[in-house]
Amino acid sequence: MSSLNSRDSFVIEREVKPLDFLSAGETASDFKETLKSLGIPADICRKTSIVAYEAEMNAVIHGGGGIIAMELEGDRITIVAKDQGPGIENVSLAMQEGYSTAPDFVREMGFGAGMGLPNIKKYSDELDIETKPGEGTTLRIVIFLKDEGGVE
Amino acid sequence: MPHGIDISGESCRGCVNCIKACPTEAMRVIRGKLKIIEERCISCGECLRICRHRAISLKETEWDSVVGKRPTLLVTDPALCTQFSWPPDPSILQDILRDMGFDPIFKETALAFDLAALAQARVIEHDSSREFPMISTYCPSVVRLIQIRFPELIPNLSPVESPLETCIDIWRAHHNRYDIPSTLAVPCPARIAMVKKPLGREASSVDHVVSTARVAREILSRNYTPAKPGGALVPNSRWVSWAASGGEARHVRMFETRPLRTLAVSGMRNVIGILQDIELRRLKGVDYIEARMCDMGCIGGIANAESSFLSQLKIENSGFSTDISKKETSVIEDMFNAGIWKMQEPIRPIEQMPLGRDMARAMEKLSELQSVYAELPHLDCGTCGRPTCRVMAEDIVRGEASLDDCIFRLREKMGNLSKEMNVLSKRLVHTMTPEENE
Repeated sequence: MSSLNSRDSFVIEREVKPLDFLSAGETASDFKETLKSLGIPADICRKTSIVAYEAEMNAVIHGGGGIIAMELEGDRITIVAKDQGPGIENVSLAMQEGYSTAPDFVREMGFGAGMGLPNIKKYSDELDIETKPGEGTTLRIVIFLKDEGGVE
Repeated sequence: MPHGIDISGESCRGCVNCIKACPTEAMRVIRGKLKIIEERCISCGECLRICRHRAISLKETEWDSVVGKRPTLLVTDPALCTQFSWPPDPSILQDILRDMGFDPIFKETALAFDLAALAQARVIEHDSSREFPMISTYCPSVVRLIQIRFPELIPNLSPVESPLETCIDIWRAHHNRYDIPSTLAVPCPARIAMVKKPLGREASSVDHVVSTARVAREILSRNYTPAKPGGALVPNSRWVSWAASGGEARHVRMFETRPLRTLAVSGMRNVIGILQDIELRRLKGVDYIEARMCDMGCIGGIANAESSFLSQLKIENSGFSTDISKKETSVIEDMFNAGIWKMQEPIRPIEQMPLGRDMARAMEKLSELQSVYAELPHLDCGTCGRPTCRVMAEDIVRGEASLDDCIFRLREKMGNLSKEMNVLSKRLVHTMTPEENE
């Protein structure tokens, strides 16, 4: 874990290893505990945790690992998830609930149900996907600290 | 002082075994003595299990002050029925307990457990305002864990009160006697905590608590032999199955009108795991979760005398009767409609102290925490009296500990100091004998 902090913003960065299902969820719970210790309301902590978990799983399953960063600044939490995976061929298809390109062995473990991106969309306020086949994917996700516009 | 357990300052040697066993990082050893941070303690009893110096004990009522003072209503946790060589039939135990000078209220207990199970099923099926999966509130330690570590899951908690409370209310209302004290036999410190700090009600209906081990010891030392039950007053014994993992879930399903999906989870790690899964919304389609902090359920509680495996066997062998007469059902239905199963007060989160007064301050402290943490050895040895280096860093930032409390940091400092002294001592010799070189 590395961090870059100044007075007004706070960044935590975590590396996610490819196909490392054993430590899946650690980044999410680390982010959540950090937000909690800052006194951030429980529902925001939970949304961040869900979003970070799904991003983490995407990097674990498809992305060949990657970096997930959480930045806390002003009125928002920004999560940036960057991987060097194959990229997403059809983003609108990937946004559909239940659509999954996860390999069978991943599905057999109970992951890859095609809820990753839809859940990220559902529990965040802004989602921006930057992807190119063969060049990886970068997600930029924003959750506002004031609970407005959140889906719940 | 936490609810449910006592610390003996005399017996505590200041070893740090317990602080490392604590799932909520509630324990510290400060100046050689154990301290518990009350707002983090969930009374799970893990520290009791691990302490070899008997410095931690259950906060139970003195035996002599509860026994033989009739009338004393006695409610037993289902786990008590499994502590003996005979089958876990409350009718057998009833006569023995009467003989000892208690007034067991097994009839009301059986009724209250039926009522709780039915209420649970009804709430799941009809109350659409709830968050699912609904989580059982039967284990007080699980509820407290949620209040402290998973406050976002409070809307998932069941509104059904513990039948161990309700049964006393039922007896008192039925006999219109509110002046008779009640004693509860408990298998764990969490049940004691439930009495001292009630869940969902202002005051517990229980007045005294004794451990199942204590009651079992008294019974065994008096050489009671189980006779054929005198009066068959206990309508059923399915409530006894709540003592083992899965018993409650099964009882709830007895009253389902559509197939309910229930899970039974026991053991601290498993409970924390399932709560994390619920939090991440990974348990779609599950209606109800029976969660118990102790492995195997209440029979695994620290205050039992019998092996939890034998207890489990006895419960399995005694079967689970779903027989219920029309009349009994209508009594329970009436009680359900009267709402006496319901918690009167909502369960609220137990606020944890943030690092700073406001977010800007907290963020500053968090940065500080990270740089302090980087200075620590990351061995989580516990010698500083904190369970992990991370907790140590937090305590330092909060001003409750000093970097010198870390034995590795201290050693480093001493090493540097001795190097410095070495250099200094050579220099002294040189200045004191300036002419020798000439």
